[in-house]
Amino acid sequence: MEMFLAAVLCYGIGILTVFAPHHMQIMAHYVANVAAVLGSGLVFFNSWAIIAGDAPVKALRWGNYVLTCDNWSAVFLMITGLAGIIASIYALGYAESYEGKRLRILNGLWNMFIASMVLVLLAGDALSFLLFWEIMAVASFLLVNHEAEKRTTWNAAYQYLVMTSIGTAAIMIAFFLTCTHSDSFAFADMAANTLKGGWLHATFAAAFIGFALKAGLVPLHVWLPNAHPAAPSHVSALMSGVMLKIALYGFGRFMLDFLSEWNYWWAVIVMVVGLVSAFLGVLYAQMEVDIKRVLAYSSVENMGIIFAAFGCGMLLKVVTDSNWCQIGFLAALMHAFNHSIMKVLMFMSAGSIMHGTGSKNLELFGGLAKKMPYTALFTFVGAMGLAALPLTNGFVGEWMVLQGFITLAHNGLTQDVRLLTVLAFVLMGLTGALALGCFVRYFGITFLGAARSRIIEHAHESDVFMLTAMGISSVLVLLVGVFPAYVIELLCKAINMSDYMVLGVGGQLVWSGSGTFVTYNPIIIFGMLGVLGVAVLCFVVKQNVCIQKDVVWNCGTYPTARQQYSATGFSKPVRRAFDYLLKPKRERTFTQNDHSYFGRKLFYKLEIPDMISEKLYQPFNKYFVSASAFLRRLQQGSVRLYVSYVMVAMVIVLVWGAMYK
Amino acid sequence: MEYIVVALMFVVFLQTRIMDLRRAVYCLGVQSAIIAAACLVIGMSHGGGLHAFLPGVLTIAVKVIFIPYAILKVVHNLQDENEIVSDINVNYSTAVAACAMALSYMVFDSLLPHFEGRDILASSLFMIMTGLILIVMRSRAIMQMIGLITLENGIYLFGLVMTEGLPIIIELGVFLDVLIAVVILVILTSRLRISFKTTDTNELNKLKG
Repeated sequence: MEMFLAAVLCYGIGILTVFAPHHMQIMAHYVANVAAVLGSGLVFFNSWAIIAGDAPVKALRWGNYVLTCDNWSAVFLMITGLAGIIASIYALGYAESYEGKRLRILNGLWNMFIASMVLVLLAGDALSFLLFWEIMAVASFLLVNHEAEKRTTWNAAYQYLVMTSIGTAAIMIAFFLTCTHSDSFAFADMAANTLKGGWLHATFAAAFIGFALKAGLVPLHVWLPNAHPAAPSHVSALMSGVMLKIALYGFGRFMLDFLSEWNYWWAVIVMVVGLVSAFLGVLYAQMEVDIKRVLAYSSVENMGIIFAAFGCGMLLKVVTDSNWCQIGFLAALMHAFNHSIMKVLMFMSAGSIMHGTGSKNLELFGGLAKKMPYTALFTFVGAMGLAALPLTNGFVGEWMVLQGFITLAHNGLTQDVRLLTVLAFVLMGLTGALALGCFVRYFGITFLGAARSRIIEHAHESDVFMLTAMGISSVLVLLVGVFPAYVIELLCKAINMSDYMVLGVGGQLVWSGSGTFVTYNPIIIFGMLGVLGVAVLCFVVKQNVCIQKDVVWNCGTYPTARQQYSATGFSKPVRRAFDYLLKPKRERTFTQNDHSYFGRKLFYKLEIPDMISEKLYQPFNKYFVSASAFLRRLQQGSVRLYVSYVMVAMVIVLVWGAMYK
Repeated sequence: MEYIVVALMFVVFLQTRIMDLRRAVYCLGVQSAIIAAACLVIGMSHGGGLHAFLPGVLTIAVKVIFIPYAILKVVHNLQDENEIVSDINVNYSTAVAACAMALSYMVFDSLLPHFEGRDILASSLFMIMTGLILIVMRSRAIMQMIGLITLENGIYLFGLVMTEGLPIIIELGVFLDVLIAVVILVILTSRLRISFKTTDTNELNKLKG
């Protein structure tokens, strides 16, 4: 625990750089981010040691408040530490562009944000958990609001604040219900609570709503695609990579520790909400042209997959009451770990693209690979990971999630469970395919082809810190993808998974939950692909196949950049296929219509309204405002009227008291 | 003691009928003086000493002398010194006050039957309700202040009867509260007069967002 305190001290130093004088702001910037790297490093290595069993945990007590760490929180501390190291290295380069734009406050809040996440995970009682949770919410709100000059940023930050407050209220209710049925508000006592009947359901509902809101599950995700693009890129990286996982931590804490008597329907709800989030998230990601919004919706998708895996684990536990359920939790943890690395990488690359070109509009890019070769390489790795292609850690995670569903299909013997698994396979399949399309589009439109606008001419590669950070995370994506065994062993320890179900045996993954032994051996695939690649390379070099260079045939005219696929055009087939879900609003106007075929100019405006906010939030909003207008009649602004309310209340209480004394 | 109760009720009823601000303040002073007398009587009946006299003396100093004086200073600066509500309103407020009196007797007969200080308890509740009635039915800031002091007197009397003398520190705290409340209200009323050229609180309804 002392190591964690030292880490918090590092973050404290980082926070104190806010008070550095103006002329030393660049120095303060380096101090703050190096402090964040050191602090996150301490958190990472210490939590690693705790899971491996090398570091004993001695809880710190101060009155009723406890800071402690068990295996479940250690996993998330590891995720936080790792993402914190990478994103802080990136911030060394990236945040420097904020010089003169409240740089010191940005760095101070950055340290505070990481420190609050670490402390949320360390909290050992309800009160400190809520306190640090709120600090985390406020720090992230201020970071989202950092470029408050822009109207959209301000709106997004405000929406985020409102939504996250609602979430916190729900979490408070859940904690309150659990605490009132326990001896104290320490987690150890809350685990021995006496919740029964309806209270159990109420606690589950409050906890799920609160944490699902923070995790950005549909339909509570509306803040996420607005808040993440508004924040500076390294902040979005950490918000998406780590903060959403902390919601999983909290939900897991409730499910695994406090509410151990699970209901069948809880598991179904968690799983279905997760699956729907995964599908809708990736569908909307496919439609966006703002690169950071694509990534934000992709976070909705991945959090959906994680919660679906968690729900699958719960369902396995309820239906079969065997240790098979651990595959669900293990898959959720693995995908959470992987997603945090991949999403941090992708947000960092989006930041590099924005830094290099000054835009985040996909339609303006093209051919960036020539200008930013390293960023292109790293983005390619990240995009492969998010599309869950083999050799990346994204594939490992999703393989395990699918194994969880197969196990459920094999062991869940009732009709409705099987029906649910069919739904799960359909939605997961759709999600996987759409994610692949989404990231092919993301990478292809940005880095390949010819430049679609003039901003590409001035694009430049990022500096060494940013490239280092992206390099580290893409190496990690591949490393965990090819050699997943070590990480999986570590995570198995974290959920106390029984030995006979260990997945990582000699570098390959073995799972027997579906009736037969299935294996996935990334090393063999890696080797085969390597041999194949070398063979193809030899063939190409020998035969001089790809040497001929010529202009692409284009019906006798030279192809122009405008004839390429645009980002909107690329996703058109999907838009047509899911027309009934997306309900796109198109607006086409032809101008200069002096000839019916030539010289026409087309103005094309496409809008994809978020169906959830249109069909759910706006009617609610409308109803709420009209209800408030009704309530306004009670509140006429006259003090005398208010006093008469008091008087009427007093008379009623007196008469009532006198009648039923 | 009965005479005190009768006098008190009479004065409070009178309070609901007075429309002239100056006379209303005098009436309030008389009301507070009666409370002070009740205070002294109760104090003496529980033995002498400083504690017996202090609440009464403080009541006289704060509620009989200082508060009416402060309100009169404000009234002095006003041009129109009448309450602006109609005569019917006055009759209504008296009628409602009468209902309040009946209600308070009913409430205490039901809650504490055979209590020896029945009249004084009922009159205290009656004063609380009348204070509220004055706040609700009058629109002048000064009259509402008078309503507040009446309410406060009622609460004080109630406490006095039920507890037979509060600890001295609480008595002091209560008086300080009243003092500060009146000071703030006097300042606010003066501000109101400067801003709106009147002390009609209906003007404040315009502040509604």
